[in-house]
Amino acid sequence: MENKTILLVEDNPDDEALTLRALKKNNIMNEVTVVRDGQEALDYFFAGNVTANPMPAVVLLDLKLPKVSGLDILQRLRGDDRTCMQPVVILTSSKEEQDLIGGYRLGANSYIRKPVNFDRFIEAVRQLGLYWLVLNEIPGQGGRL
Amino acid sequence: MSGGITTIASHDRIVDLEIYAKAILNILDDFSEEKGRLRNTQRAIQNILEDAESEKFRLEATRKAVLNILEDFASEKLQILSMQKATFNILDDLNAEKNNAERTNRELVGEIIERKRAEEALEAANKELEAFSYSVSHDLRAPLRAIDGFSQALIEDYFDRLDKQGRYYLERVRAGTQRMAELIDDMLQLSRLTRTEMHFETVDITMLAESVIADLRRAEPQRQVKVCIQPLMSVKGDPDLLRIALVNLLANAWKFTGRQAAARIELGNRDNDDNDCRVFFVHDNGVGFDMAYVNKLFGAFQRLHSTSEFPGTGVGLAIVQRIINRHGGQIWAEGVVNEGATFYFSLPHNQND
Repeated sequence: MENKTILLVEDNPDDEALTLRALKKNNIMNEVTVVRDGQEALDYFFAGNVTANPMPAVVLLDLKLPKVSGLDILQRLRGDDRTCMQPVVILTSSKEEQDLIGGYRLGANSYIRKPVNFDRFIEAVRQLGLYWLVLNEIPGQGGRL
Repeated sequence: MSGGITTIASHDRIVDLEIYAKAILNILDDFSEEKGRLRNTQRAIQNILEDAESEKFRLEATRKAVLNILEDFASEKLQILSMQKATFNILDDLNAEKNNAERTNRELVGEIIERKRAEEALEAANKELEAFSYSVSHDLRAPLRAIDGFSQALIEDYFDRLDKQGRYYLERVRAGTQRMAELIDDMLQLSRLTRTEMHFETVDITMLAESVIADLRRAEPQRQVKVCIQPLMSVKGDPDLLRIALVNLLANAWKFTGRQAAARIELGNRDNDDNDCRVFFVHDNGVGFDMAYVNKLFGAFQRLHSTSEFPGTGVGLAIVQRIINRHGGQIWAEGVVNEGATFYFSLPHNQND
């Protein structure tokens, strides 16, 4: 479990801090890489010497991001042989139908709406961690082909 | 025959007489012939005259017929004239009608253009509203999460440095964010209700209501509520929207009977008098309401009770009303303070779009 990493795509520093706190509260000690806009997220997978970046066990993807939107990132990931199997969980504020449909249509593995209530957010993150970092099996190298 | 001369003379005379007589006879004969001819001629003339008479009758009849025909023609002509006049009138009328139609047409075209413009404006407004609610859903909730999350962090991490009062204030902050989050969600739901497309099918209201009540019982297992739901109720409608409506109505009944020792909720239906729609009712024996405020019941964010008495955002009944209206039905309510409330809603029979 320790070598499984998480990629958090989140532009809001408050949400970043709270997500990291929620992970810590649940004793999820896995390495978390944070990228703060859409382009950074694409660079993580596709730019330069990408093999240096471990393939995450799960990507926690916000939808409303500067530069490149979460759905566009998802589309790029699914359209590339190297990343098409990458587990992606949409973690966002919105539960607008268009986002839900768009997310699943583009092949999101899961869609979670961030609750306003922090206790509930902690519980959501706990279940997320348990599922994607413990229960879920992925092909070796975090799904990299 | 005494006297010779006389006799001779007489003889001569007789001869003469005979000659005369013969001549006369001849003449008479001639006359007779002539008379016969004359008679013939007369007969012929008579015949001719007779013929002429019958001819005259015929002519008379013909003349009469001609006159009749002429008279008929005259009346025909009058008729034709009046018909022509009528035709002209009709043409005039048609012309006026045509002018009218043209004017109406112009007006219609104007109206269509106006309507199109209004539709475009509405569409633009809807798009704006959509963008607005999207933004509300996304952007307004993020800071709320921060307020709630960091308040919780303060309570947890700085527990020893906060006294009871300080922790209480932070709980108040958290409660405030919760309430605001609920208001935002309800507002979004309300605005979404007018935008979502409807899908009509036969909805088993009895089954739907039973599942809603089961959810309510699970959420508050300590509550003892007697629920009577009329069996085999179904109606044509959008199942998702009708579920939301029933959840709100039954949750209200559940909530407002909270202080009632023997709480009772009833759901039933009947055809209305005109038999063109089905009227459902949700009755409870809860706190009820004063009929003086009945008009406020269905307004968004309108509440007849304080939140400390009964929690809620005041959007539920506005949502129900919007759903029923979108189905072409109506909603109304009756209540008596401390005796209960009955909410009626009608759904038309012929829902097939």
